[in-house]
Amino acid sequence: MAVHTTLPYRFFLSIALLSITAVSEPTDLTTELVSLRSSSESGVIRLNDVSKFITSVATPRPYSLIIFFNSIDLNSNPLQNFRREFGFVSASFIANNNNRSDVTNKLFFCEIDSSDSESFHRFGIQSLPQICLVDPSMENLRHHERGMMEEADVDGTAESVAEFVESRTKLTVGPIHRPPLLSKTQIGVIASLIAISAPFLIKKFLKGETFLHDSRFWQYGAVLVYFFSVSGTMHNIINSIPMYLRDPEDSNRLVFFYEEPEIQLGAEALSVGLLYTGVGLLLAYVTDALVRVRNVNEQRVAMVLVMVVSFLAVKRVVYLNNWKTGYQIQMYWPSSWQ
Amino acid sequence: MGGKQDPTTANGSPKSEPTATKNTTPDLLNSFFSFKSLKLKTKQQELLLRVSILGLVYVLAFIARLFSVLRYESMIHEFDPYFNYRTTLFLTEKGFHEFWNWFDSESWYPLGRIIGGTLYPGLMVTAALIYWALRFLRFFVHIREVCVLTAPFFASNTTVVAYFFGKEIWDTGAGLVAAALIAICPGYISRSVAGSYDNEAVAIFALLLTFYLFVKAVKTGSLSWALGSAFGYFYMVSAWGGYVFIINLVPLYVLVMLITGRYSMRLYVAYNCMYILGMLLAMQIRFVGFQHVQSGEHMGAMGVFLLMQVFYFLDWVKYKLNDTKLFQTFLKITVTSAILVGGIALGVGTASGYISPWTGRFYSLLDPTYAKDHIPIIASVSEHQPTAWSSFMFDYHILLFLFPAGLYFCFKRLSDATIFIVMYGLTSLYFAGVMVRLILVATPAVCLISAIAVSATVKNLTSLLRTKQKVPQTGSTKGVGSSKSSSKVTLDQSQPFQKNGAIALLVGVFYLLSRYAIHCTWVTSEAYSSPSIVLAARGAHGNRIIFDDYREAYYWLRQNTPTDAKVMSWWDYGYQITAMGNRTVIVDNNTWNNTHIATVGRAMSSYEDEAYDIMRSLDVNYVLVVFGGVTGYSSDDINKFLWMVRIGGGVYPVIKEPDYLVNGEFRVDKGASPKMLNCLMYKLCYYRFGELVTEYGKPAGYDRARGVEIGNKDIKLEHLEEAYTTSNWIVRIYRVKPPTNRV
Repeated sequence: MAVHTTLPYRFFLSIALLSITAVSEPTDLTTELVSLRSSSESGVIRLNDVSKFITSVATPRPYSLIIFFNSIDLNSNPLQNFRREFGFVSASFIANNNNRSDVTNKLFFCEIDSSDSESFHRFGIQSLPQICLVDPSMENLRHHERGMMEEADVDGTAESVAEFVESRTKLTVGPIHRPPLLSKTQIGVIASLIAISAPFLIKKFLKGETFLHDSRFWQYGAVLVYFFSVSGTMHNIINSIPMYLRDPEDSNRLVFFYEEPEIQLGAEALSVGLLYTGVGLLLAYVTDALVRVRNVNEQRVAMVLVMVVSFLAVKRVVYLNNWKTGYQIQMYWPSSWQ
Repeated sequence: MGGKQDPTTANGSPKSEPTATKNTTPDLLNSFFSFKSLKLKTKQQELLLRVSILGLVYVLAFIARLFSVLRYESMIHEFDPYFNYRTTLFLTEKGFHEFWNWFDSESWYPLGRIIGGTLYPGLMVTAALIYWALRFLRFFVHIREVCVLTAPFFASNTTVVAYFFGKEIWDTGAGLVAAALIAICPGYISRSVAGSYDNEAVAIFALLLTFYLFVKAVKTGSLSWALGSAFGYFYMVSAWGGYVFIINLVPLYVLVMLITGRYSMRLYVAYNCMYILGMLLAMQIRFVGFQHVQSGEHMGAMGVFLLMQVFYFLDWVKYKLNDTKLFQTFLKITVTSAILVGGIALGVGTASGYISPWTGRFYSLLDPTYAKDHIPIIASVSEHQPTAWSSFMFDYHILLFLFPAGLYFCFKRLSDATIFIVMYGLTSLYFAGVMVRLILVATPAVCLISAIAVSATVKNLTSLLRTKQKVPQTGSTKGVGSSKSSSKVTLDQSQPFQKNGAIALLVGVFYLLSRYAIHCTWVTSEAYSSPSIVLAARGAHGNRIIFDDYREAYYWLRQNTPTDAKVMSWWDYGYQITAMGNRTVIVDNNTWNNTHIATVGRAMSSYEDEAYDIMRSLDVNYVLVVFGGVTGYSSDDINKFLWMVRIGGGVYPVIKEPDYLVNGEFRVDKGASPKMLNCLMYKLCYYRFGELVTEYGKPAGYDRARGVEIGNKDIKLEHLEEAYTTSNWIVRIYRVKPPTNRV
């Protein structure tokens, strides 16, 4: 730190201050931040101009900033969840210190997106998620270690952020308010609906007329469960895998299929599941329903269609499987026909 | 399949797929068996065919699983089977009483393990019985051979059960197809090849048997079948923890039957008998104990049992009270009070701790993300990973396409039995999606439902072919729901196209089935017949190279270390060390004590001097690590290392995962984190490795498993010394030096 508080540095800084922020007084900046905050839903300010609020303000600044480094393009679920948690901390901080502007105006919650690569560079951000507290006296952003939240503490919960803030700023965040899963009115409506419909349902049930007594309901359910299972949807839910990825080399190209036997993408799973289910149901249709159709031409067309569709679907699945696993799975036709 | 001649009835209704034209085949067969003296009646011919097919399938199921014996030798595979083998050996040598009271001081040092109370004895007792039976018949085989061949033997038995089950839910044709399909289905073979002497080997047989007997009991309402099913359940409980699936699926089935208005006296008899007797029998297994009345996993069964009584009671009251209005009021009061009492009982039970909540494993099936977040020891096992679609393809092949078709046919001909198989299929398929290893449980159901599809398809198509020659014929059909649906299949004058189309489809079906057979054989020989204790690789000239390092190391331990030596290794190798090396281990594959495992994980991921203190406190004499850097063997300890850190860190917060990562990446080369480069595991794996040239054209210390040059080539050991390294460096054993004398 000491190196950078040398005279030339100071001189440069003061020049910068003079040239850029000649008009903005620190108090003006605070009011501007307050207005920015009030326009955002959870009170997290999208910080587009780092120099205006941080580097070009003379230290000590009248406020601290806590910055969440985000990346929308990364399309990462954990990161966005963490961002939401961060929002809860911000909202809770404002709500818990509602009538005390002296407290709320001391700390502002901000975020910087990776599209603002210049700011990322200024802070020297290498990995995400990252949270940085810019306290009133911090001057050089490159040497921000003391403001960084420690990697081990970044566990994605609002509590950890609140703890971090409280330990560094001596401000209290207070209890975190998370929005309930269902709002009170929703719960009320659902409860009353259940209460009203219960007698009818019970009556119907006793008479044996519900959808539960309809085999078609179970049939569709069964096919759905099958589809759900064979496509490996559980795999995607457990590992919270996205539907598709962006090609790292070309961000406009989307990747739907992943060449690795143990990993699959959402869209890939669904399409393969559809192929499986489709062929299976077509088989049942041909052998059970189609034989009862009286018109020969209809039969003929349907049959040819079914055969073509099944053939293509099976071929596709086999191709995908071989490509994905590297195993040459046994073909449905001799390999010389390929 | 073909030649049964049912008495034709002349009621004139157009009929029917199973028996439409049975007259052509008998003629054919008659000409085939034209010996005058050997002339068989049609029914006998059919029986002969059926029995011989089943016999062939039985043999096929056995021999398809012998690849590993032919290719390697008759040996026990993997990890858990070694424990089973060791206990079976103990059982045959010391007898059942000793076995039941066995306190094993050679594992989980210094805690030990009460073997009799912490295992499912079904497998060992089965193998021992077979062994004793063979000896009684004067076949003097070694117990190891019996253990190796137990799994194929039971797989063969499973095919027979599958046949009867298929016959029960559909017809004999479906039964035969089911037997053939399950005999070679990779999903089942993966866990039942010769040498994989594990609980699942007998458990799938027991599972299917229980289900079959239960379905039979529901169909007939007979107490004897229900009794049989209770005993089947008892065998299942004694063999595998997967019995929880039965005790939840059966009540679920009963519940669905109640909801869909299919309650019957048959169901009442079957379920009550099976539940009560099965529960009492299961309590005899010490490991299970009173869980049936105490644990949350079993409460569903009890709830359904009580619900059954309410249903029966209501039925009785309805019969007694002729006034409907009175009955309605009565109904309301009983239902409300029953639900209230049940809810209160459950609440009080849970609150007072009498009913234990669900175990982690069970919970992770219902909420699959649970294990990943909360129980690293479950999440770390590769077979507990969720299934990707390619695994389904690999294990089921065409059965996946046949399954929806089979579902369709089942719904077309709904009966108590088909409802059961559909529910079994769907629930198990869901669980298979959650955990790779549960594909095994789903396999019988998938085979059965697919068999229905094949059988029904073939039957529909052949009857289409035959109706050409014969004007629609009628026949009596068996089965509860069959007459309704079969009358729908009205086959009027078939057109020429139909015939051709049917022939084409038939050829297609048989072609697919033959491909299935080829795929299964190929998968069995390539993927599922490796013992994993002996590794095989292809050499540069396509020749097979065998790495027998594991056994080399274990025999070294057995021959060269004091008998009371304690060996520390990661838990994967615990069973093998005790079984083959005959030495005491700190932790093993029975992961019952997380703290103990975490202690080992902590030692492995600490610096040498810190680890030394831990090892001294555990009286460790030798440390064993598995290392694949020379051979390129990828499931070694370095690749498992992050799990050691995670499990260790779960109990001891001093161990932090980020310390071993660089930007979230796990590395062992120069860019690795300093903690990684100096932790005990790294040192033990890469000791002296920096001097070794593993691959031509690469620098010394090139790790072939990870494809990098290692970052710390100059490793000095202070408190340990190298004791033995196997010929391919796969297993390395270090001796822990005694503390230096204090002057």
